[in-house]
Amino acid sequence: MKILILGAGAVGGYWGVRLAQAGIDTTFLLREKRAAKVKADGLVVKSPKGDAVVPVKVVTKGGEGGPYDVVILACKAYDLDSAMDSIAPAMAADTVVVPILNGHAHFAALDARFGKPRVAGGLARITGMLGPNGEILHGGSSAVSFGERDGKPARASLIALDAACKKAGIDGGLHPDIDQDLWDKWIMLGSIASMCSALRGTVGDIMETEDGPALMAEILEECRQVAASAGHAPSEKVLATLKVALTTKGSKAVASILGDMEKGGAVEGLQIVGDMLGRARTAGIAAPNLRFAYAHLQAYEARRVRTGLASK
Amino acid sequence: MKTLILGAGAIGGYVGGRLHQTGADVTFLVRPARREAIQRDGLVIKSTKGDVTQKVKTVLGAGEGGPYDIVMLTPKAYDLDSAIEAVAPAIGAGTTVVPLLNGMRHIDVLSAKFGAARIVGGLARVGVAMGPDGTIHHTSPFAAISFGERDGKAPRPALVALDAAVKKSGVDGGLHANIVQDLWDKWIMLCSLAATCCLMRGTSGDILEAGEGRAIVLETVEECHKVAAVAGYDPGDKGMETVRSFLTRSKSMFAASMLHDLENGAMVEADHIVGDMIARAKKAGIATPNLRLAYAHLQVYLYRRSRGGIGKPAR
Repeated sequence: MKILILGAGAVGGYWGVRLAQAGIDTTFLLREKRAAKVKADGLVVKSPKGDAVVPVKVVTKGGEGGPYDVVILACKAYDLDSAMDSIAPAMAADTVVVPILNGHAHFAALDARFGKPRVAGGLARITGMLGPNGEILHGGSSAVSFGERDGKPARASLIALDAACKKAGIDGGLHPDIDQDLWDKWIMLGSIASMCSALRGTVGDIMETEDGPALMAEILEECRQVAASAGHAPSEKVLATLKVALTTKGSKAVASILGDMEKGGAVEGLQIVGDMLGRARTAGIAAPNLRFAYAHLQAYEARRVRTGLASK
Repeated sequence: MKTLILGAGAIGGYVGGRLHQTGADVTFLVRPARREAIQRDGLVIKSTKGDVTQKVKTVLGAGEGGPYDIVMLTPKAYDLDSAIEAVAPAIGAGTTVVPLLNGMRHIDVLSAKFGAARIVGGLARVGVAMGPDGTIHHTSPFAAISFGERDGKAPRPALVALDAAVKKSGVDGGLHANIVQDLWDKWIMLCSLAATCCLMRGTSGDILEAGEGRAIVLETVEECHKVAAVAGYDPGDKGMETVRSFLTRSKSMFAASMLHDLENGAMVEADHIVGDMIARAKKAGIATPNLRLAYAHLQVYLYRRSRGGIGKPAR
């Protein structure tokens, strides 16, 4: 089985390095500059699970090195259009794309571009960031989840990807209900991204305010109702876990979007939060906190444009 | 008439400086370092209305140089307790306290300490800041203060005298027949602006670029309006229209100074400007969902600041 991974960021890079280390045929599709560096130095990973410098296969065009059975697409939502352009030449008739994006909005675009049968569902719970020299600074958790949408039996290439992940020491793998898993993650992300950005602090900071615990519980309920209206209410167990994660006093948990905002960077939350709010509106669900968070993100973006940060 | 001004900072320094310049008997209560600088360099004002450097009277303790007819206070609300402590020795039987602070809560605090009869209402509208060298930079085209009896009765002689001194000084405003309404009018504007600019971290114009920005601003104004109305100080249609139109100007670069403070890691008057508005709303059974989120934002900021987390990555 041949795997192509678009980009070598914290998520795709970590996943791909572990696959390559396990002897799986893995290729990275990179921009010229990044490609040259990775070809020369290999991919550098600093991880609680072991540091490594791994020589990997690199291409700079989707049409090279194929055909591929699986294309893993781990990009930011605001980069989706250019990402689709990049992988399009790699998409053969029986290639499956496994998008590792947050939220749900990307499915409509991917389905329209490649046809729904070639688009699986996927998500990653890999924490980390890129260091100043492009090294992958892995945070610790390294789980992925993917599967057929609409609960169909998994195609052969996804079963093979599952086996590859297990061999590579990546947690998770093939999920029998990836749609639900996506919603579960989106509820968490929608809640934490909304509140950490609109209130500009960690979960622990928010817990120190009078109404912080109530606000967290409210936004979780807003997102839960949206998921339920889509037929994907989280289980009691998942909901309880999310509630703990969002309301633990002293927690250092924070949405990565806050780090992006405090550096004046582009924010994916605009899509994540805005789409959740849009679905709430369509379903007639009152979502006052999502509304504030989305307005906050829009005002942030307007200020980025006004001050010239957006064009840098 | 003798006036004591606490501090020679931005507002107190500007207003006191103009009063002194036109012959009023003004004394500044300052800390030793500030006194030394003023004795060395004079009180320096750079202003749209003309620069001036002058020698002024300073004291290090409020017990000196009195008795005073007027004690003028212009601290930030979070410094009110130490301000009260500093001026207490100057407050005699015939002293009137003129606080120039935003919001309302300080009036209760001052009344409890010095007796309600000594406390009048007052506020300042001056765009002024103090530079690191102590120079007072007055940058706005306007410079006004407003003061008056809180019960609307005829002003006491000390206020009439202060009014005459203010008029002579070229500072606009002076005695106000309904100072409490004026305080509420300014508080509605300030609270709405501070709440929305801080919650959205942008200028008035940035907020209006968000899909619901305008609605959120107008709702916030209405929350404050209701609190004022229930207190008996509804600014009326015309007053409210002024606030609404000011806060909904497309591309406006206007922002609350509190946002500037937030972005510089400085202390903010969160409790005084936003928290107290919410407390009054709660008492009156008025829902304030927008102020609630803004206040949570400010409290997150203050907590994060207290743990040394401002200017560093959130985690």
